[in-house]
Amino acid sequence: MSNASKLQAGVLRLYRPFLWLYPAEFRDEYRRELCLAFVDRWREERTLVGLLSVWFHAIFGIFYQAPREHYHMIVHDLRYAFRILRKDLSVTAAAVLILALGIGSTTLVFSLANGLLLRPLPYPQPERIIAVTESSPKDPNETTQISFPNYFDIRARARLLDDIAVFASAQWPIRGEGSAERVPGASVSDGIFRVMGLDPLLGRAISREDDLPSGPKVVVISEELWQRRYGRDPHILGRTIQIDEDRSTIIGVMPAGFHFPDRAEFWVPLQMDPAKAARTDYFLHAVARLKPGVSMEQATSELESLLEQIHRENPAVNNNWIARAIPIRDFVAGSYRKAVITLLVAVGLLLLIACANVCNLLLVKASSRVREIAVRTALGATRRRLLRQLITESLLLGLAGGALGVLLAYAGIPALLSLIPVNLPLWMNFSPDSRVLAFAVGVSLITTLGFGVVPAFGSFHADLTDSLKEGGRGGMSGTRSKFMRHGLVIGEVALSVILLAGAGLMIRSFLALRMQDLGFRPENVLSTSLDWPESRYHDGPPARALLARLTSEVSSLPGVISTSFSSGAPLDDGWGRIFTIENHPVDLKDMTFINHIVVTPGYFHTLAIPLLQGRDFTENDFDTPHIVIVGETFAKKNWPNESPIGKRLRFGPPKNNEPWHTVVGVVADAKHGAYKGEDRASVYLPYNPDITPNVLLVRTAGDPLLLQLALRSRIVTLDSDIVVSRLFSLEQIIARVSWQDRFLTVLFTAFAALAVLLAAVGLYATISYTVSLSTHDIGIRMALGASASRVRAMILRQGMTLAAAGLCIGIVVAFALARLLKTQLYSVSPNDPVTYIAVPIVLILVAALAAFLPTRRATRVDPVIALRHE
Amino acid sequence: MRPFLLSRDTFHILVALADRDRHGYSIMQEIAERTGGEIRLSPSTLYSAVKRLLEQGFIEELEERPDPEHDDERRRYYRLTKTGKRAAMEEARHLEKLLSDARASGLVRKRA
Repeated sequence: MSNASKLQAGVLRLYRPFLWLYPAEFRDEYRRELCLAFVDRWREERTLVGLLSVWFHAIFGIFYQAPREHYHMIVHDLRYAFRILRKDLSVTAAAVLILALGIGSTTLVFSLANGLLLRPLPYPQPERIIAVTESSPKDPNETTQISFPNYFDIRARARLLDDIAVFASAQWPIRGEGSAERVPGASVSDGIFRVMGLDPLLGRAISREDDLPSGPKVVVISEELWQRRYGRDPHILGRTIQIDEDRSTIIGVMPAGFHFPDRAEFWVPLQMDPAKAARTDYFLHAVARLKPGVSMEQATSELESLLEQIHRENPAVNNNWIARAIPIRDFVAGSYRKAVITLLVAVGLLLLIACANVCNLLLVKASSRVREIAVRTALGATRRRLLRQLITESLLLGLAGGALGVLLAYAGIPALLSLIPVNLPLWMNFSPDSRVLAFAVGVSLITTLGFGVVPAFGSFHADLTDSLKEGGRGGMSGTRSKFMRHGLVIGEVALSVILLAGAGLMIRSFLALRMQDLGFRPENVLSTSLDWPESRYHDGPPARALLARLTSEVSSLPGVISTSFSSGAPLDDGWGRIFTIENHPVDLKDMTFINHIVVTPGYFHTLAIPLLQGRDFTENDFDTPHIVIVGETFAKKNWPNESPIGKRLRFGPPKNNEPWHTVVGVVADAKHGAYKGEDRASVYLPYNPDITPNVLLVRTAGDPLLLQLALRSRIVTLDSDIVVSRLFSLEQIIARVSWQDRFLTVLFTAFAALAVLLAAVGLYATISYTVSLSTHDIGIRMALGASASRVRAMILRQGMTLAAAGLCIGIVVAFALARLLKTQLYSVSPNDPVTYIAVPIVLILVAALAAFLPTRRATRVDPVIALRHE
Repeated sequence: MRPFLLSRDTFHILVALADRDRHGYSIMQEIAERTGGEIRLSPSTLYSAVKRLLEQGFIEELEERPDPEHDDERRRYYRLTKTGKRAAMEEARHLEKLLSDARASGLVRKRA
């Protein structure tokens, strides 16, 4: 090779790689020409400047032209795709709608996941915020609050924490300026704002001095409370606000949107004395901020060793509990994680079904396009070009479906949230953000690959020469296409069976939950929390007189059957205490909690809880305290084979000075603390000079909700300083405490219904297509004397064979997957026989309908016309 | 309304093909010569334009080589089609009209 041609080859080696910037078709067509022209041009120049300018020109030209070539091609493909899609408007509309349902549902559930699990919490560097919990070594996953002295000691000793704080949230009545209202707030230790990483908008945060047991009455309020009650008064600092009985000075206003915990609108110092607080009173939540760079494991191991140390120093209260650090996200949202993931899986299956459905639709369409593709191939279109064209079409479908799906998701979020009867914590934000949009786009693209590529490749396998022949039936060569279409339908049916089985289990579980025997009759009972000014109605005779007046006022309302008071509404109360049975001392480590319920006489009557032994409380018991009524199971467990009447028990840790309480009666077990799952045993105490119950329970003759207004106005007329809140029927309370189960069941059922519908549509479309392909065969059969019913049976058999295959696969997979639902299920086994009998029945009925409809068309085939078709 | 709107490069390519069929490099050369080196198309600009002109039917690719002796057999030759010629003529007339308008308004000096 001469030097000149060597040089030329070298120059081309440098030039050629730039051509990769062009679309493949352009490159294939003009690569050689471009190279030749470039070399010629290069040879023309003799000077270095000239050569440089040729290079510059050539490279600049490519960088300028290549994107334009891409653009031209995309525009061309899009135009063509639009034309094709418009031509087959019904198929296009069906595909877009199916995709929109699939992508929309997926995006909707992802918005939930995003709001709960992904969107950063609204605090600076949220990854450094942890919750500090204690848990029993018996059940390390069951975490609990911590006690004040433990917090106090950890705060003094922890080296890996920037700060630690404790809080107890509650609702307090706010009186004074404006109407009295009950507002969520929190008693907090001084570190809370430092841990959450936010400074007040106005004024100052709670200081360590404020938090001393003898500290001043101060409060920090939320921006929203400042707005609502004080119209953003700029001189708010220094004003006082009456929270329950205390007048507290407002020292700060937090920035808008800060509501930790949950929906708190004000924060008062806890002002607890570590010397007086019990080390076993676990009623405070603790949060802490890690020092930069400290991991969860490091924090946990420090906390563990600190708590061990504390236990060693205080052997009397050593219960062997362990301390743990958990990410704040898990603390506030951990309980939703499983449900959200379950829903994501469910909706993912639905999306797969939608994909399979559209894929099937396109396969049928592809077979009618084989001629078009053959013609284009004959005219010189490359495979790559055609593939690109087909994928562009799918992409258009996918994006149209995605766009419509996102709109559906937007519209669906409010509908979804309306299923939730409780006020969610304010940090939860489900409005779609860029992450949700990116997800929707991603899902649309992946979906496009899922449904678009198979039919696109399939199109090439057709026999082109055959397709071009006059009258060629075309179609992706018979068996392969049929195999694929049938496979897809079987897959769709199988997936829908999985969802259906899941929904069946959820429904069974939800019904079991709602039909459980609560031990009392929740129908027709209204419940409300009352907060009266304690200065006027302090515990003892004044409060007793108030309850008597309230009872007589309320009882005089029409339709009221009975009235009583309790320290907590049934199913919505968390007051638990540990206890000791006389003569049966138990180690602190092995103590269990009971529901500690203080009631007025008539409580058991109002809730219809039967008295089994002994006597009910009477008004006289107010002055003869230290008696209890216990639940049946509690009695049997603690005094087996003997009468519990006259036996004694004591509340609190083993060694204390609390008085012994004598059992005077036994009632049937009634759920009080937990609606779902195992409830603690219940011990009832009569109201007494120390404790005045403040939840009013009213049994009515008719709908209790009709009494709401009258009840409220009667109470406020009695004393306008009494704050009436949480006015719900017990059935509403049940709906509130079981909303997650209902939510999950409703959504799961909706997805399953959609899935079955889509699978049925898929089956219907496939059988219809088969019928249209076999018009000829049907014609011959009928000409040979086959009866219409025989032809119908033949086609129905085809459809049912597909459905049965899908059903078998689906049932097996569902059976294997169902255990994943186990934690979501209540008193229903994942292998619940009722579900696994009902699902096939539902599916077979739907499939039979979907397969039957096309048979009617088949038997209308006129043999003469069918045969002439040949 | 103008029936065609030709870009400068496109017009030059059509003009270069007006007298005879040429291959790509020959078009580039012709344009450079005609404009005294003022306009030098890069290969990429040329072939993008050629592709568009082929699609529009203004030029066509020749099956056989017109000048076998001087020809590199691998090169593709292009010819102006009737449509292409019409388009170029239309454009030329338009430019002429534009020039005469400019002269009439005194913007451009009249030729002696």
